[in-house]
Amino acid sequence: MQTNFTPAQLADPEIAVANEILRRCVHCGMCTATCPTFVTLGDELDSPRGRIYLIKDMLESGRDAGAEEALHIDRCLSCLSCVTTCPSGVDYMHLVDHARVHVEKTFNRPLADRLMRAGLAWVLPHPARLRAALLLARPARGLGFLLPGHGMLAKRLRAMLRLAPGAVPRAAPLGRVYQAVGARRARVALLAGCAQQVLAPSINAASIALLNRLGVEVVIPPEAGCCGALVHHMGRHEAALAAARANVAAWMAQVEGEGLDAVLVNTSGCGTVVKDYGFLLRHEDCAAGAAKISSLTQDISEFLMKFYEPVRAAPGLSVAYHAACSLQHGQQVTAQPKTLLRKAGFKVVEPKDAHLCCGSAGTYNLMQPEIASALRRRKLDTLRALGPDVIAAGNIGCLTQLAGDGVPTVHVVELLDWMAGGEKPQALR
Amino acid sequence: MVVESGEGVSVVSARVDAALPGGVIVPRDEAELAGVVRDASAPMLVQGNGTKAGMLRPGRAAAVLSTAGMSGITLYSPSELVMRARAGTALAEIEAALAAHGQQMIAEPSHLFGEAQTIGGVVAANVSGPRRISGGAMRDHVLGLRAVNGSGEILNFGGRVLKNVTGLDLTKLLTGSFGTLAVITEVTFKVLPVAGAVGTIVVRVADAQAAVAVMSAGLGSPFSVSGAAYLPGSREVYLRVEDFAESVAYRCGRLAGQFAGAEILGSGESKALWLSIRDCEALPPGEAMWRVSVRPSAGPGVLRDVAFAGVTGFLDWGGGLVWLSGPATHEAHEAVCAAARTGGGVWWLMRGPEALRAVVEVMPPEAPALAALRRQVVAKFDPRGIFNPLKMWAA
Amino acid sequence: MRAMKQLDPKPEVMARRSEIIAGLRRILPERAVIAQAVELKPYETDALTAYRQVPLAVVLPEDEAQVVDVLKFCAAGGVRVIPRGAGTSLCGGALPLADSVVVGLMRMNRILEINYADRYAVVQPGVTNIGITQAVADAGYFYAPDPSSQLACMIGGNVGMNSGGAHCLKYGVTANNLLGLRLVTVAGEVLEIGGAHCDAAGYDWLGLITGSEGQLGILTEVTVRILHAPEGARAMLAGFASNEVAGECVAAIIASGIIPVALEFMDKPAIHACEAFAHAGYPLDAQALLIIEVEGSQDEQADMLGRLREICERFAPVSMRVAQTEAESAAIWKGRKGAFGAVGRISPDYLCMDGVIPTSRLGEVLRRIEEMSAAYDLRVANIFHAGDGNLHPLIMYDANDPASFAKAERFGAEILTLCVEAGGCLTGEHGVGVEKRELMRVQFSESELTQMRAMKDVFDPQWLLNPAKVFPL
Ligand SMILES: Cc1cc2nc3c(=O)[nH]c(=O)nc-3n(C[C@H](O)[C@H](O)[C@H](O)COP(=O)(O)OP(=O)(O)OC[C@H]3O[C@@H](n4cnc5c(N)ncnc54)[C@H](O)[C@@H]3O)c2cc1C
Ligand code: SF4
Ligand code: SF4
Repeated sequence: MQTNFTPAQLADPEIAVANEILRRCVHCGMCTATCPTFVTLGDELDSPRGRIYLIKDMLESGRDAGAEEALHIDRCLSCLSCVTTCPSGVDYMHLVDHARVHVEKTFNRPLADRLMRAGLAWVLPHPARLRAALLLARPARGLGFLLPGHGMLAKRLRAMLRLAPGAVPRAAPLGRVYQAVGARRARVALLAGCAQQVLAPSINAASIALLNRLGVEVVIPPEAGCCGALVHHMGRHEAALAAARANVAAWMAQVEGEGLDAVLVNTSGCGTVVKDYGFLLRHEDCAAGAAKISSLTQDISEFLMKFYEPVRAAPGLSVAYHAACSLQHGQQVTAQPKTLLRKAGFKVVEPKDAHLCCGSAGTYNLMQPEIASALRRRKLDTLRALGPDVIAAGNIGCLTQLAGDGVPTVHVVELLDWMAGGEKPQALR
Repeated sequence: MVVESGEGVSVVSARVDAALPGGVIVPRDEAELAGVVRDASAPMLVQGNGTKAGMLRPGRAAAVLSTAGMSGITLYSPSELVMRARAGTALAEIEAALAAHGQQMIAEPSHLFGEAQTIGGVVAANVSGPRRISGGAMRDHVLGLRAVNGSGEILNFGGRVLKNVTGLDLTKLLTGSFGTLAVITEVTFKVLPVAGAVGTIVVRVADAQAAVAVMSAGLGSPFSVSGAAYLPGSREVYLRVEDFAESVAYRCGRLAGQFAGAEILGSGESKALWLSIRDCEALPPGEAMWRVSVRPSAGPGVLRDVAFAGVTGFLDWGGGLVWLSGPATHEAHEAVCAAARTGGGVWWLMRGPEALRAVVEVMPPEAPALAALRRQVVAKFDPRGIFNPLKMWAA
Repeated sequence: MRAMKQLDPKPEVMARRSEIIAGLRRILPERAVIAQAVELKPYETDALTAYRQVPLAVVLPEDEAQVVDVLKFCAAGGVRVIPRGAGTSLCGGALPLADSVVVGLMRMNRILEINYADRYAVVQPGVTNIGITQAVADAGYFYAPDPSSQLACMIGGNVGMNSGGAHCLKYGVTANNLLGLRLVTVAGEVLEIGGAHCDAAGYDWLGLITGSEGQLGILTEVTVRILHAPEGARAMLAGFASNEVAGECVAAIIASGIIPVALEFMDKPAIHACEAFAHAGYPLDAQALLIIEVEGSQDEQADMLGRLREICERFAPVSMRVAQTEAESAAIWKGRKGAFGAVGRISPDYLCMDGVIPTSRLGEVLRRIEEMSAAYDLRVANIFHAGDGNLHPLIMYDANDPASFAKAERFGAEILTLCVEAGGCLTGEHGVGVEKRELMRVQFSESELTQMRAMKDVFDPQWLLNPAKVFPL
């Protein structure tokens, strides 16, 4: 598609990248129909092609982002369904990332919005803060109806309360080396994550136990922390870079020390970003290390393909596999989780419109509660139509979003660990 | 120009021309025809060989304008599946030429109107046979046509290629317009190879309802059923399959397996059977004849609802096409109209005495908004109102 | 706007802009009216981005009653209206005018009825083409016309353009698969055309409206035929040493009496672009590739493929491969259906032609296109429906270079003129739109155009619906 940047604009490397991405888009519109927000709202402006056009116009004109651009860019889930669909190979992910930074830099959000975003950015990436916040929110869970009004703020607060778990599990202390059982076949770093540690410590516990049992040594360097995805998707570029730098340093120390066969991620939302550290940090001193880490990074299901062996008899359960967007679109990991679940002896079923997001998308369900809940309902309806015993996914965000509708939700790894000799997942007991 | 009048005209059914002072005008080519139209000062009956003069409303005009003098196949490219012929070419001639190359007309137009019908007439009346449900109607295969409008202008719409969306599709508008908009002078249409073999499944059923269930199961199967008819007289349902011999054998076997007691007919018998269905041979002779198109499941209801008036018939198109015959009375006609309406469909009075055809709704009346548009469309094609006035609608 | 002339906006309409927007807001829910400059921008074009024009407003009605209200309102004020589906038109069919209100139908996206016994479905215009098939697939049915854009394009747009697709060789185009419509005229009257039965009595309005490119009214409901899917289908790939040889092979297949379900052609640049996207195993060493698909049981497929192989072998294919699994077949079609977009990988911009020629002229026309490509110094990728002679030469150019676009436009016009001269037509499935408007005179005489315009006069006496398309200015 034609673009209109001046040579001066193109001298900015960020604009140059955006220009290349925009030039690849042929405006064919194929991506619109697989975009969850277009399907829900029915407006070109809330479709990938429309957003690309809005972003193009905003960047070409060099203007500050206004309320309209912010609205439509904020509504994007960054689910990357459009990227899977696009035959031209348009790198929408980096375009929208760039646009979010531009919005964050140039748009003066309303106060309530700013407070909310700052609050989330302060709490979510930090397990201790999140735990404290959840403990505070717990008594208020049932009181959502007391928050009056149809304003966005009231809706968002109600959404937060709805998502707060009924019980906050005890935090398991992480941050050390977990030895392989028997002969060591590989050594990996595991991203411990932030919110997931607090909301579902069982996922890391199952991952570590399973890997160890399969002969894989797991290291969680205490210096590694949140991957930066949450702030990255809010356009908080500096905070995201800081998080990424810290992780690269922590893992590179391992690579250069005892060595690493892989960096594993069991929260696919994080995996997409870690796999992109190479791009994110391309102008930084640690660029080489970042590229190395990105190349080492795998979703845990990718890694397990070589190692996984079940030991228990098939439980005869039907598992509805929900493909997290970050996994199926962001990382193009589609077959592995299903293959592993089948190998473990589960009957795997998949919903209609599996390409559509469940509405979780990081903090999206908090920031855009109406679209998120429409997508949640739609996803749950298609999942429930399969009459499954359990819903499994590879991303904590999705699991939280889909919980509470009568069908237990568990991480794929918890099911795999169970069949490989681990404990039965709490949700199924 | 050939102007003939009186008894000696072989190409026009005698009944029509007898009373016409202007006689029968039979131009030899399109330019001549355009000249006739330009010079015309009074309405004319537009026809080929006049085989469908008894269909719909009776014409009232001073003269007959016939395309019978313009005949001949002007293009036939078997490897491109295309044939073009002048409007007056006899259907029989076209079918023979196609057969010589192992090809056929996809819509298998009925010979109900006799051997003299012309390709122009077949197109102007959108005549389609049993294969309409799988291969499409005549209107689906007309790729292009030449015509002369009421101002005597020669127009060419569509073309000779298999796909064409250039401009408004006036080819489709003219197809099925019974010569009321323009005189079609040449037609280009798509053809297809004749299948290597034909097979028919015969299933005996209790009634029309059960017949439609069988036909729906056949048409809702993966076996490309290309004909589905039910004759109440024999209480037999027929499902047709056309393809290479191996395929036909296989699919007939699979289909027959679905219905208890189903029989399979081979190619020879099948061909004869489907010709007789195409030409309505099973229809009892009656003073009047109708065609009703409804959704297939409504077909049995139509048969049931008209029985009291002495009207009987059979089902084609999986139940969606009801061929009917019966007494040429108002009561019978009203029964047909009511039955078609109840079924959410439409009717055509195909044959009947002039007295009846002149006073009843030979087709369902249009909604007022559509009728208003239609009148304007007619005026745009034929501003002086000289082509087949009142053929389709009383006003 | 470049090269192509446009209608001048009506000053009296432009002067009443805010009044018109306020009026639209009165008759529509708030979320259905878009009038901010920033938000109008993405509506300035469709899939033919060479032509662009920001409209006066965009409305997104949610039901037929709202469509009626909008049309009545616009007709009363002499405001031009541009119907829009998914905006995937390749001929600028949904291109706005500066003084126009774009009516986007994408929110009317419900499937209203599915009837298997009578084999039809009633859908709103904003349902995607593939959405219909997906809705009936569990019962084993499908909706046959399958434009490559089927993932995104909407049935309203399909009817507007009379769209075709790869499988239309056997199953026909949109017009052959419709039973009924509801159309709102510019006067706000709702016309019910056809129904759930075959062949309406009276004139073939269905045929006239199909492919009328939004000139006659706005569709609010479409009744389509659905068909039971065959037992299975399998695609085969045959690569050839030159375009001409592949063209001759196509003619030989048709002449043999075999009508495959699909018979698609790609030349070398197209093969490479599509392979990069779909990883379908296209032969990268072939100059031309045929994708041939057959249907039926396993045995039937094998039988047909055997016959086709025999024919292909007569033309010394450089490679032949039959898909062994459904996944392989799916990959083959993914490449073909993503072909236009995939060309975006080798060139930032393309113009997609859509001429049709008699299949016997295939080799000759392709040779001429090659010569033109050299003369204009613009690359071409050829992707097309070979079975019915529908060519899609994709002319690659650089939109950031105005001279390159001007050349591409001339090149395109020359190709289409060649198609008409070869006995074909300007457009087989994409429509005339704004792109081929001025070329209409190549194919039609003035009296033929007048007769067509007269139909527009009847339905839309003020020429408010999608004006400056289809008919030369
Ligand atoms: C990558 C790609 C591949 C394509 N492949 C094919 C192909 O294989 N075959 C093919 O035929 N086409 C193809 N097309 C062209 C395009 O997809 C079709 O023309 C399609 O039918 C347009 O549908 P739409 O919903 O996008 O309509 P739009 O582009 O929005 O509109 C198309 C036309 O229809 C009118 N219209 C839309 N909705 C209505 C309505 N409800 N009432 C009245 N008028 C209406 C518009 O005014 C316009 O004139 C392709 C396009 C792309 C980008
Ligand atoms: S599918 Fe790709 S090329 Fe087409 S509009 Fe979307 S992003 Fe652009
Ligand atoms: S990332 Fe998801 S929500 Fe955002 S434009 Fe792409 S498909 Fe739509």
